[in-house]
Amino acid sequence: MPPYESLNYLDIDSLLSEEERLTRQTVRDFVTRQVLPVLQDAHRTETFPEQLISEFGKMGFYGANLDGYGCAGLSEVQYGLLMQELERGDSGIRSFCSVQGALVMWPIYTYGSEAQKEKYLPRLATGELIGCFGLTEPDYGSNPSGMLTKAEKVPGGYRINGNKMWITNGSIADISVVWAKLDGKARGFIVEKGTKGFSTRLMKGKFSLRVSLTSELHFEDCVVPEDNILPDAEGMKGPLSCLTQARYGIAWGAVGAANMVYHTALDYTKNRIMFDKPLAAYQLIQAKLAKMVQEISKAQLLALQLGRLKEKKRLQPHQVSLGKMNNVRMALDCARDARDMLGANGIIDEYPVIRHLLNLETVNTYEGTEDIHLLIIGNEVTGLPAFR
Amino acid sequence: MNIIVLIKQVVDVELNIRVKDGALVEDGLNYVISSWDEIAIETALQIVESVGDGEVTLVTIGPDQAAEALRKGLAMGAHKAIHVSDAGFDGSDSFAYAKAFAKILGDRDCDLIIAGKQAQDTDAGLTAGMLAEFMDLPQATNVTKLGQIAADKLTLHRGGDNGSEVIELSLPAVLTVNDSLYEARLASLRGIMQAKKKPLETLDLAGSGVDAATVGIAGRQTVIDQLVEPEARQAGQKFEGDEEETTKQVLDLLVNEAKIFA
Repeated sequence: MPPYESLNYLDIDSLLSEEERLTRQTVRDFVTRQVLPVLQDAHRTETFPEQLISEFGKMGFYGANLDGYGCAGLSEVQYGLLMQELERGDSGIRSFCSVQGALVMWPIYTYGSEAQKEKYLPRLATGELIGCFGLTEPDYGSNPSGMLTKAEKVPGGYRINGNKMWITNGSIADISVVWAKLDGKARGFIVEKGTKGFSTRLMKGKFSLRVSLTSELHFEDCVVPEDNILPDAEGMKGPLSCLTQARYGIAWGAVGAANMVYHTALDYTKNRIMFDKPLAAYQLIQAKLAKMVQEISKAQLLALQLGRLKEKKRLQPHQVSLGKMNNVRMALDCARDARDMLGANGIIDEYPVIRHLLNLETVNTYEGTEDIHLLIIGNEVTGLPAFR
Repeated sequence: MNIIVLIKQVVDVELNIRVKDGALVEDGLNYVISSWDEIAIETALQIVESVGDGEVTLVTIGPDQAAEALRKGLAMGAHKAIHVSDAGFDGSDSFAYAKAFAKILGDRDCDLIIAGKQAQDTDAGLTAGMLAEFMDLPQATNVTKLGQIAADKLTLHRGGDNGSEVIELSLPAVLTVNDSLYEARLASLRGIMQAKKKPLETLDLAGSGVDAATVGIAGRQTVIDQLVEPEARQAGQKFEGDEEETTKQVLDLLVNEAKIFA
């Protein structure tokens, strides 16, 4: 295959600064060298390539848009490009860094005490510590405010009881940022691995995001010290604001996955001869390629505008919903078309297409399903919530 | 150990390069650090890291956009950079560049000057060698392995056609490196963000102290007349029909035309 280049049909590259392009190229080269070669095996064996954990840390991928505490201090567009290039490799790889940065480091950075920041952030930034984010429960996914996990004040700390499900990195995490109701209000708690009453169970049998570890978290009279409550988050705004950060990264990441399946489909159909000429010379194939070019170009502009708004601190959660919803659906459609264009080769893991397609089914579901984002946008434009 | 690395920004040869009317088509080109020069940066960083002190300074002569290459090198870990940029250098050849570098580097304190063994665009491989001559410094080209590093000398291997030479070189000296020496590191994201805070000195022709008569069209000894695209490869020949007959034909061509046994 020719060297990978992301689609630049509308000369989007000219909208990026030199530093942004260098960031993109650096992560792209890293993914080519260190991530792509291990994906097939990781995907087949349903394992996360653990050797990458410290490498990501050395490269500065964790909490990369935070300042201080050993974080890289990237701009929001640079951070988006990081997510884009990681997801060009695999959605599970991007998820690993997304969770660590947007769902663990960001809430500690935003809602944590200075002592919590100093204790955890530098070691999370290097990858010495791995974190996970516990919000979703077996019966509460799209409706997290209904959570049953409860915390109560006890002498010297808080006692937590409840269960979390679909938690990325749960069983390998050194710390979990867990959301539980204290006196009827959602609060965040940092639960360290090994705390009495806290256990995890790895969820096996996923047909999607197989490179990422997904777990259940169980809390049975689990008492965490007083210092482990996030002091500055009270109510659902806490966890939902974390999701806004992660969804922002996903809006960019999906562009990377779409680019990869487009790149693969373009190369494949230009070289695959059928009825004496390349597949790419047929109108039905060209229509699919043109559709991908159209949708990826729009998604690139959308992600970039979200980034520029975020840099000006003007980005609204409902705008992030539009980006996450559109870009992931776009990537999923590209992957489905690409799979079709590769024929039988579209279902085998010698090519990245089927892996991306399977992954994107998850990405379209987690962090707010496509339907929930439609309702968020509907609520925004009508002022009439239609969630229930 | 203070090290100066000479780098050159070149057209990314991995992407499509087109020639029209004897000149490069500039539109849509991407510029990168010549890959051998990236190895030179890596070599300098490895030496400074192993010795435990010293600085790596990058130097380039090139247009405004060449600052991008310097900033990438700074992001990889180099400490500072000098960008010499002036239209007066346009048209220079290796000889003129070597003269200019000799002048620019002449007063600077350094123990080693390192460059790639050639640049990725012209493949000439002349500048560093001539620079050593003009600065009256010992040199080793095509370095494939480093050995002992002391304050005043260095042992190294240099590649030849039929083996390698092991050389001891007194410092200061000029080295050019082979791509088998190291794999160039990627900049970390922290490195990219720190790069903009590192010193990048920009000099024009007058500021560089280089005599205008020794560079550009006035100072060059060679001229590139024109650029020509490589000839398109001929399509292969297909042999179809009776196996015994075609085997004979192929054998005949291999022996008598390709002369594979000659």
